[in-house]
Amino acid sequence: MSAIETSPVPIELAMNTASSGPDPVGQASLAEEALRRLNRAVAVYSRDGAVQFSNGAFDALLRQPAFASGLAALFERTLALHSVRSEDTPLSLGERRVYQIETVPLSHGVLVTASDVSAEMAERKRVNDEARTDPLTGLGNRLLLREQLAELMSDLTLHPSAAAVLTIDLDRFKAVNDTLGHPVGDALLRVVADRIRSQLGRGDVVARLGGDEFAILQVDPQQPKAAESLAARLVDLLGRSYIVDGNLLNIGASVGVALLPGDCADGDQILKYADLALYRAKSAGRGTYRFFEMAMDEEMQARHTMEIDLRRALALREFSLVYQPQVNLDTSRITGFEALLRWHRAGGATVAPSDFIPLAEEIGLINPIGEWVIRNACREAAGWSEPLTIAVNVSASQFASATLIGTVVSALAESGLAPERLELEITESVLMDDTQSVIDILHSLRQLGVRVSMDDFGTGYSSLSYLRRFPFDKIKIDQSFIRGHEAEGPGGSAIVQAIAALGRSLGMTTTAEGVETEQQLSRVAAYGCTDVQGFLFSRPLPPEKIADVILNNRAQPSEPPRKTNDTQGGDSL
Amino acid sequence: MTRPLYRLVYYSRNRIAGAPGDVAQTVQGILRASQRNNFEVGVTGALLFNAGIFAQVLEGRQDSISATFERIQRDPRHGDVHVLGFEQTSAPSFPNWSMAYLGRSREAENLFGSIAADSGFRPDSLESERIFRIMREIALEEESAAA
Ligand SMILES: Cc1cc2nc3c(=O)[nH]c(=O)nc-3n(C[C@H](O)[C@H](O)[C@H](O)COP(=O)(O)O)c2cc1C
Repeated sequence: MSAIETSPVPIELAMNTASSGPDPVGQASLAEEALRRLNRAVAVYSRDGAVQFSNGAFDALLRQPAFASGLAALFERTLALHSVRSEDTPLSLGERRVYQIETVPLSHGVLVTASDVSAEMAERKRVNDEARTDPLTGLGNRLLLREQLAELMSDLTLHPSAAAVLTIDLDRFKAVNDTLGHPVGDALLRVVADRIRSQLGRGDVVARLGGDEFAILQVDPQQPKAAESLAARLVDLLGRSYIVDGNLLNIGASVGVALLPGDCADGDQILKYADLALYRAKSAGRGTYRFFEMAMDEEMQARHTMEIDLRRALALREFSLVYQPQVNLDTSRITGFEALLRWHRAGGATVAPSDFIPLAEEIGLINPIGEWVIRNACREAAGWSEPLTIAVNVSASQFASATLIGTVVSALAESGLAPERLELEITESVLMDDTQSVIDILHSLRQLGVRVSMDDFGTGYSSLSYLRRFPFDKIKIDQSFIRGHEAEGPGGSAIVQAIAALGRSLGMTTTAEGVETEQQLSRVAAYGCTDVQGFLFSRPLPPEKIADVILNNRAQPSEPPRKTNDTQGGDSL
Repeated sequence: MTRPLYRLVYYSRNRIAGAPGDVAQTVQGILRASQRNNFEVGVTGALLFNAGIFAQVLEGRQDSISATFERIQRDPRHGDVHVLGFEQTSAPSFPNWSMAYLGRSREAENLFGSIAADSGFRPDSLESERIFRIMREIALEEESAAA
């Protein structure tokens, strides 16, 4: 038989024996011995605090001052409240030992028991920490950052620039993941985490928010200086090359900074602000940092409402086309019109393409809008009394979408417009992305009979090589070479002359854009441009005015230019 | 099987500020730390420097090279690190750790020359000579750019 009975039956037996009570003295001493030997610390105190009984485990604990004083406090409360457990505030003794003390009032004293809950507490802490740790890098996670932010924000005595939130985003990280695989990407993230950690002060909190996004809460009264120098160090350090698993890797980092509570006193909002600043850093060319400014938020809000409006603009028929004549210098006659898009936004404002086309591209609306433009322009031109050309701007995303040719074919069929009257204007940026497939599409369009012109020529990079890759019908010289300060200088005129000469030798029409004065007109004529377009001849016209203009299509330049809000420089559709 | 040997060559901009004497002392410190640490992990190589740049060759096993390079990358005493090469090699070109001052400035030569002499810089193979030549060209170019 084993030394201690553990099954229920012997306990019943023991109780039976107790009730028949043959040997109370023997039982009491048995119980006392059991208590003495128990691992759990047990003591009985009299109500005035004198020890009546204690076992060895308890005596050992009592020798520790922290235990003794903790117990004394509890003892007082016990007498007042009957029963108390120190469950919520376990008593820590030394480094890792944590005890839970329980006191129970007896008829003539107080029973005190204490148990070692170190293991449970350690486990609880581990689970807690784990829930706040990013498993890949060992940094904190979003939960940790949120909690630390909330805690900091709850301090009302905070200096207005007590802290900063920095959000970090890696540039070109995706390429590493895509080309070398996730294991290398993950290993890189761990080194990045190490580098970030190496730059932090004691009170700083760093978290990986997901993917290649990190955030730091920097608590330092020297703001914004401290954040600025940390941001600069991070951009420098994270942008230095890495050797990971035998691969030499080059990535960069962009950083956004928001100050707290100066910029904002709300934990979630401050992260958004830092992200807005980060977005700015990225659009400023990456590898740099930006501080949040209130204007960024306002712009973002404005952009957001514009996006909502833009998404329903087609359905609400808020777009219209205006047409600007293009004039041949030899004959002084209009050869065609360029269709320009206008957005009459709810509320009355007319928005120029340069103000909404980039957004339309970003949110994937450029294709339906572009298609609407092609169809409407063809339909309008088909109704003209003379077979003049109609030029339509086509953006890079339309080329990328693979529906462009289909749209052109059906727009021509639907309107009955002769293909050679349709002229598609593309900018160099169209050719920059995926040149071969773009060239293929251009050839297919040409096969349909459609003309193709190079728009805004001179503003891109490698214009000449593009001219060689496709036989454009026309080069439109960007207006920055025609008017304005630089255009009038020797550099501007040399460029216009060179392009005109190039066009002549390649058999292409050269159109000078943005001609506003007689002086500019005689200059571009002297340089050898064949065609012109600009306010000097006409502003963009609404469709109902075109019929008359075509009727009067004579050689005369019109009235001197008028001041107008119609921008033509930003037109891209 | 012996593990493959890697060679890393980079140059960087010297960002040590201060009077020439302090700079010399700092460089001396870098040299000492490098000799000590690199010996321990079996990394050999060479470090060239002048007022404008550092250029360094590190040779050793992959993990030692990446650990050493990672530490060097975090050093604020230089910046704009350009890696010229990182590849496997069959034998070390600079089997003995060495250091050289490479510059045309007389003044600096007096200051730094002795550090270099102490370290006994000697490129001792064809490959090391080739690397040395490239690094030397960069160093001299960058010195005049820094001046
Ligand atoms: C240009 C340059 C080259 C360095 N090269 C080495 C090196 O090869 N090995 C090394 O251990 N430390 C090198 N260091 C120094 C390290 O950045 C770092 O300060 C040092 O390893 C710290 O060592 P310690 O902790 O033993 O002092 C270099 C520093 C600079 C600026």
